[in-house]
Amino acid sequence: MPDLQALVTDFVLKLKRRKIEGSQATAKQTAELLRQVVSQQRMPYTNQASVLIDAVRAVGEQLIAANPIGELSNSYLFLAVGNIVRRVLHIIREENLSSTTAAMEGLGLTAGSDDDEGEHEDRPGLSAAAVAAAARSTLRAPSLQTLLEDIPESAVAPHPSSSGGDSEGKSKSADRGSRSKKLKHDVIEAINELIQDIDTCHELISEQAVEHIHQNEVILTLGRSRTVKEFLCAAKEKKRTFRVFVAEGAPRYQGHVLAKELVGKGIQTTVITDSAVFAMISRVNMVIVGAHAIMANGGVIAPVGINMVALAAQRHAVPFVVVAGSHKLCPLYPHNPEVLLNEFRCPSDLLDFGEFSDCMDYGSLGGSPLLHVVNPAFDYVQPKLVSLFITDTGGHNPSYVYRLIADYYSADDLVVQQNST
Amino acid sequence: MWGRSASFLLDKRLRDQHPSLSSPSSSSPDSTMDPNPNPNHGVSAYYQTRAEHHAIVSSDWLAQAQAAVDREDDTALMERPHASAAVSLSASKPFSVIDEFNYWRKKPDLAEAVAAIMALAAVIRSCEATTMMELEIELKKASDTLKSWDTTSISLSAGCDLFMRYVTRTSAVEYEDFHAAKLRLIERGEKFGEISMKARRTIAMLGQDFVFDGCTILVHGFSRVVLEVLKLAASNRKLFRIFCTEGRPDKTGLRLSKELAALGVPVKLLIDSAVAYAMDEVDMVFVGADGVVESGGIINMMGTYQTALVAHSMNKPVYVAAESYKFARLYPLDQKDLEPALHPIDFGVPIPSGVEVETSARDYTPPQYLTLLFTDLGVLTPSVVSDELIQLYL
Repeated sequence: MPDLQALVTDFVLKLKRRKIEGSQATAKQTAELLRQVVSQQRMPYTNQASVLIDAVRAVGEQLIAANPIGELSNSYLFLAVGNIVRRVLHIIREENLSSTTAAMEGLGLTAGSDDDEGEHEDRPGLSAAAVAAAARSTLRAPSLQTLLEDIPESAVAPHPSSSGGDSEGKSKSADRGSRSKKLKHDVIEAINELIQDIDTCHELISEQAVEHIHQNEVILTLGRSRTVKEFLCAAKEKKRTFRVFVAEGAPRYQGHVLAKELVGKGIQTTVITDSAVFAMISRVNMVIVGAHAIMANGGVIAPVGINMVALAAQRHAVPFVVVAGSHKLCPLYPHNPEVLLNEFRCPSDLLDFGEFSDCMDYGSLGGSPLLHVVNPAFDYVQPKLVSLFITDTGGHNPSYVYRLIADYYSADDLVVQQNST
Repeated sequence: MWGRSASFLLDKRLRDQHPSLSSPSSSSPDSTMDPNPNPNHGVSAYYQTRAEHHAIVSSDWLAQAQAAVDREDDTALMERPHASAAVSLSASKPFSVIDEFNYWRKKPDLAEAVAAIMALAAVIRSCEATTMMELEIELKKASDTLKSWDTTSISLSAGCDLFMRYVTRTSAVEYEDFHAAKLRLIERGEKFGEISMKARRTIAMLGQDFVFDGCTILVHGFSRVVLEVLKLAASNRKLFRIFCTEGRPDKTGLRLSKELAALGVPVKLLIDSAVAYAMDEVDMVFVGADGVVESGGIINMMGTYQTALVAHSMNKPVYVAAESYKFARLYPLDQKDLEPALHPIDFGVPIPSGVEVETSARDYTPPQYLTLLFTDLGVLTPSVVSDELIQLYL
């Protein structure tokens, strides 16, 4: 679809040029793009789910491949893109499965009798309920319960269409026609729910603020996270009195912006430098920060400086709380190069070119200056340093993250790129 | 090959009488053929199997093996009717679940739990029950026999429990016809060998992802799963080197280094005490597991706990590669909470009388020292284990 292709390239350009601010907007626009892909996809009579999955995968690969590793200074946005692509793939598989199990249970005894002929001699006497139950288990992440079971791929999706095809004739084909529309419809509905979840994640997180922030507490944060801001403001609105220390978050100094916003809401705020965090941490009751992404092991990709805050918090036994929407949950592990390699931002944030131009001049001194300036953008915080994750689904331990991943993602979708390494 | 440990004890006995080593005679009973391992030997049958599978072949061992085989033919004829009378329902049936289990266990590539499940599948095949309840009762009996035969092996009891749960669950609703159900159970049980091979391949795929170019991996113990991971990483042209601990007294380091050298991977052998010394240069630690307990900790060869402690204190990740059927419903609170599994240790010189030797073959590593578990269910943090077990048993 040339129309669709144009949309995709447009989106990729916007990402590269940083026209999209923040992971929430990125996630929402990715979901909307994928919704377009699904609704414009022509659906055949059989194997609908795989057609959809292939289409979404193709677009997903294009989006993710547009981020050459380590080159762009907003690669965490591409992580968000990857998350949403995988979420949509999982949605397609789930919707497909629930519609086929409903169809199979509806077919009931007829499916059972069709089974005995032809293809399924190796499973004599299996009731339709058994096949449905087994098919359901293929979607769930593999577990000890299903270890001994063996349901081949053919048991899912094409099964009802192939078994009923010849014998039932017209009534089945009408049924199939309506089912194909139904799958698309279900998937689009589910994507709409996903978009709504992304939209409302801040409200859901902020609702939990009152449980965590108590009267007369001192909170520390670093830099400016929109989620943290709304979290603190929600607590203020529920009449909690507390104070906030804001570490300025060099070299972008977004902490200054946050401090101004908090004062505007009537919260007592203190601004400190990043280097002062260790000195002030003993006066703090709790640290609340935002994150760019949450990894599958519970580790956190956060703006630079937050690892230092986490270490200080651990040293002084201060709870370290991370607030993040569930669209930031990434099924990858930190060893993955997509995640591991840090971004380096512009050195002019640190040093003014004018003053230091002779030290940093690549033209003189044989092309290799003695002065280098490094401006990394991210920090990786180990899971053992995090006390609690607050997401739109509630508060969770870092060791619980694997469950959320199993709920939102399928194991088959972890590698979206086909021809890597 | 069973002669290995039996001959050691023979030699010891001979040495106590004469100072020179002599070749084995055929008088000591071979504990693997007994329904119960002889407690006087202080040798766990489980560790005997491991020795059997992986012993380095040398000429005197071949001679011992030959002597052992000669002995087996004699004892087998005496033992078999006795064993079968003990375990089968009717005296006329020669079927013995222990024999079946031993048969499968001999195959070097087969894990302990797989052998147990194959043996139980064979029990179903040969049983004469006509209802699910009868079948389950017979299976339970066979499973208890297997477990009591070797009380130290965790993966054996975990495998038995897993199969029993599967039988109970499958029989409940889904099969109208008993014979169909029985056939299916037999089929799944026998296919379990394939499942276990597939499990190893999955784990290899997941684990080799964590091996990056230029890394140094410390390996302790000889685990076929870990070997599979390293083989796959090597075949994917990753450049890495291995530090192998010697693994006294099982000589696991020597065996492993032989395998890895064949793959062209640079290997360095360390004595067990050199782990802390070398830990600086190491990027990650890989171990297998004899069993994974409910807390998320692992039971593995002696020395694993030590290695994990050192790695933890130097912030190196410890990765465990274990198949999911090794998850067991145990919760050891300390090292002594396990069934003692002993194996003989040869110091090369006679030990003075009055001096005790710690002969335990395995230790328990608590979950806080482990970073990630690679299983066929995916890459898991240690806290997932109890979740999986709860889902299975409740």
